[in-house]
Amino acid sequence: MRRNNAARRTILLAAALALAAAGCSSSSSSSGATGSTPAAGSSSSAGAATVDTSSCGSKPGVKATGTPIPLGAIATNQPGTSFTDIPNMAKAYFDCVNANGGVNGHPIKLYIATEQTNPAQIAADAKQLVQTDKVVGIVGNTSIIECSINSSYWQKLGFYVIDSGIAPECYSTPNSAAVNMGPRYSSDGAVQYALAQHVSKVVFDQANVPGTGYIAAGPNALAKAANVPIVDLTENVPITDANSVAIKEVNDAGPNGAVILNFTPPQALVILQAAQKLGLEDRVKLWGCSTPCNTDFLAQSLGPKWNGKLFVNAELAPPDDTNTTSMNLYKAILKQYGSSVQGGIGSFSQMGFTEAEIAVHALQSITGPYTVQSVNAAFKAVKDFDTGQLCQLWTYGDYPLHIPNNSDWTVTPKDGKMTTAQGCTLISKVDPQIAQYRNAAGTAANAPTGS
Amino acid sequence: MRATLERASPARIARRPTRPQLIKVGITTVLLLFAFFALPELLSLYYVDTMTQVAVYSIVTLALGLLVGRVGLYSLGQAAVLAIGAWAAARLLFATTQPYPLVLLEAGLITMLAGLLIGLPALRLRGLYLALITLMLAGSITVVLATVNFPNGGHGFLGYNGGLLHIPPIRRPSIAASDPAYFRYSMVVAVLMFALVLAHIKTRPGRAWAAIRQSEPAALAAGINIWFYKLWAFALASFITGVAGGVLAGAIHYLYSINFPTQDSITLLAVTLMGGVFSLWGAVVAALLYQFLPALLNNWGVSADWLIILFGVGVLQVLTTAPAGLADQVPRDLARLGRFLGRRLRRRPGGDAE
Amino acid sequence: MPPWVDFEPFIVSGLALGGVYALSGVGLVVLYRATGVLYLAFGAVGALGALIAWSLITRAGAPGWAGWLACVAVAGAVTLAYGLLFGPALARRDPLIKAVATIGLTLILYGVMDLLWTTSGGQARSLTLPTDNGGFTVAQIQVTWTQVIALAAGVVLTVGTGAFLRLTKLGTAMRAMANDRDITATLGVPVRKVEAAAWLGCGILGGIAGLLLADLVALDATTLTFLVISSLAAVLIARLRSITVTFVAAIVIGLLHDLLTPIASLTSYRDMTPFVIAAIGLLVLSRHQVMTQSREEA
Repeated sequence: MRRNNAARRTILLAAALALAAAGCSSSSSSSGATGSTPAAGSSSSAGAATVDTSSCGSKPGVKATGTPIPLGAIATNQPGTSFTDIPNMAKAYFDCVNANGGVNGHPIKLYIATEQTNPAQIAADAKQLVQTDKVVGIVGNTSIIECSINSSYWQKLGFYVIDSGIAPECYSTPNSAAVNMGPRYSSDGAVQYALAQHVSKVVFDQANVPGTGYIAAGPNALAKAANVPIVDLTENVPITDANSVAIKEVNDAGPNGAVILNFTPPQALVILQAAQKLGLEDRVKLWGCSTPCNTDFLAQSLGPKWNGKLFVNAELAPPDDTNTTSMNLYKAILKQYGSSVQGGIGSFSQMGFTEAEIAVHALQSITGPYTVQSVNAAFKAVKDFDTGQLCQLWTYGDYPLHIPNNSDWTVTPKDGKMTTAQGCTLISKVDPQIAQYRNAAGTAANAPTGS
Repeated sequence: MRATLERASPARIARRPTRPQLIKVGITTVLLLFAFFALPELLSLYYVDTMTQVAVYSIVTLALGLLVGRVGLYSLGQAAVLAIGAWAAARLLFATTQPYPLVLLEAGLITMLAGLLIGLPALRLRGLYLALITLMLAGSITVVLATVNFPNGGHGFLGYNGGLLHIPPIRRPSIAASDPAYFRYSMVVAVLMFALVLAHIKTRPGRAWAAIRQSEPAALAAGINIWFYKLWAFALASFITGVAGGVLAGAIHYLYSINFPTQDSITLLAVTLMGGVFSLWGAVVAALLYQFLPALLNNWGVSADWLIILFGVGVLQVLTTAPAGLADQVPRDLARLGRFLGRRLRRRPGGDAE
Repeated sequence: MPPWVDFEPFIVSGLALGGVYALSGVGLVVLYRATGVLYLAFGAVGALGALIAWSLITRAGAPGWAGWLACVAVAGAVTLAYGLLFGPALARRDPLIKAVATIGLTLILYGVMDLLWTTSGGQARSLTLPTDNGGFTVAQIQVTWTQVIALAAGVVLTVGTGAFLRLTKLGTAMRAMANDRDITATLGVPVRKVEAAAWLGCGILGGIAGLLLADLVALDATTLTFLVISSLAAVLIARLRSITVTFVAAIVIGLLHDLLTPIASLTSYRDMTPFVIAAIGLLVLSRHQVMTQSREEA
């Protein structure tokens, strides 16, 4: 009996120690993470120090004290995949706005619900936000399947969601407009760049997560129109044998071919590193990757062999190469208010910034009370808004589908950072969804404004 | 131990139920009625959806508890069996317009068939080997599912269309389309499954399982066909898990292979052990741990990782100090606490109430 | 069916994968023979050690050898702590219960790892060993020294620990303890010391394997923790007894897995290889007898 109690006590002690360790080191791990991009951090901190974050709001220095405007966001947060940086950055932006006048004196309160890719949980989160937290708008959703699960719910209630899309419904329904391009159109961008380099074959390899057929349809349409053969592969993630994946891709592509990857950064890194260790990186004409690869973490981990060899589609302006007011404001807000953003400067936090920007811009146009109707009408009415982070002006609009970000940069790693290889290029309307959107949206969808 | 020996005795004289038994049945009935009528009204839709998941997974943990607690078969493949049931139900729901109860029944039978196919060769193994081979089979099914995917309204045997822009939701029964109504529907199915298992336990299969769990050579000597009864347990567990899969399909509307990873089978075993494998209430406790606790923590903004750590601690706790799990331990601890408080209060006649 | 020349590079990568499975598989069987416990947390302690090494090397700027030492030390310490805390309490229980208990440890470690080394913000970690930078070319692909070391480590483990367990006094004491702790104690064997040595040795093994696997497979808590499931296939075919059979089975599984890659109709199913082979192997081996894992057999 004594031994049993001793065992019980030690278990509890161990659990307590784990708790304490986690508590002590979670702060250090987040600071370590931002410290991992020293080059980007140091070059921009000089710029950020001179940028006054109070320009985010309309009344600098005046704290907003009115009734809060409740907004909601749903993000995936599970071992191996975490998108919480995006709504956390949106919240940082809202915090800045709240400290500088709010929206006509009203602070914004963002309710963030996380999920573990469980459809029941995702549906429940939406209902929680609407019925318990009484949110009037949804800004910052980033989830592997949320759009599929909740799109009919948002449609029924009249919510026009501003999100960072992944699932097909984020781009194919009237009630969701994304600030990013999502896996299909981002892969289109990577494939398009490869085709422009006159490769003779394309191998498109992606993670076996929901939507592979929908995603592959874009690159397949592009390759077919260019008369270039394309091979579609999928890999179960997490990948335990990257060697066979790399060999297969290289064999299928051939010496004048291109291998285009659509994976999360850790999986893409594993494949590319395997290719390098096997000595295969020069066996194909070029390697491409959809936008998740666009992080400095990857550039640092990959090393110099990939300079000018790997071309990554970038949905958002390269932070290191862009010195605009908006980019400096983003970096400054991240520094001052973004303590819960663990990935630091990068596309995740950029997306959060952009979505929050758009939401505040829309909210500021509302004159009456902030209700579900008024807020979502304002979101829908956003037209030709210059976010400072995208190639194009951003429009929501009243269309049956939304792909407002359909023009991209291409970046390549260079000495530990991602640098621009090609400026803003429209995604080809050979992809039928892009064609459909451009027809519906008219000129709003076309002209790129960035460089 | 004593209880199982008692139930192993063959003939039983019909007795009038004792008072503790009546109280137990009374409490159970009151709780069930409360859950059925009152809970959907009292809880927000977030928690109603969560409780539907609790109902579904209580059937799964019931099946696992049956295998582990009653027969001594540790299965590390329960999530895969659930996936098979969900797959079958989804395929039928998309391809046919059969009424829901029929689809659930068919899903259960198909899963039972799969369980028998697995059980037939696998039951030659025992103990650790059996547990590991169920893990291997679960791993295989997970890989197959990742490739063939769940039906989403497409054509052909697999019913999967990879290029869809809008995936149609899996339908619900017409009488239970709303979330509160579907919760009640899933509760009814769960109660039926529990009743089915209870019927087994109280009759000959239950006694045979108890004998097998106690000592296989002794059971063999008593003339019990061990292999047959183990197979029966496998079949029953697979059947009810298949039905649970069908209810799950209607609850969440969309099924993805990434929602049934091999790790889930391990977590299911962990919570089933924590809940308690020797009592039916243990299955409910396990389902609450598996679905309600995460929803609660999610709401409070606590990371899901803490829950994983808790489950790990729970497994160690159960295996070293409390083999009958929470369902047994908590009432006993509460009773002990009650007695302790009673003694304290009696020691201070008319003194301060603390 | 693709031409033979397409298969050649996969033979090489298949051997490398086989080396990976062999490292885990042999480690598991050695642990089982020495402690009587199927240590399913093997992958998780290795992952924990590797992540700590990564933190020290890339964040704190420590030299490589310090990080590796920390990895092995942490893995050893965690395993020793587990063995000392829960070994005696569970010693009399069925091997199945002891294995399920290690699942508890696995879950704890997994949760802790994801808390401390988060994957939010698109972070991707990798651990590279200096032996990655050299190698030789076979069948038009490069083989790094790390892969050779992994394979060699598997061989050394197989031969070395087999001999250690059979021929040395400490090894025999470990096997006796794994078989029956109480009887061994009555024989005058210093049970606590032998137990501690067994667990510590196993932990160190886990740490070394963790380093190699973090380099060869991925530095990712989920991947490394659950890699042990695929490695169990080789362990099962050897029926948890023969280290040599485990090693050979692991190589065969790795080879088969990669050789299926160029076959278009089977390539999506190749991740099933370990499971299918284990299931078939186990069923074939058991067709004439009822296989049970009682204490007498261990």
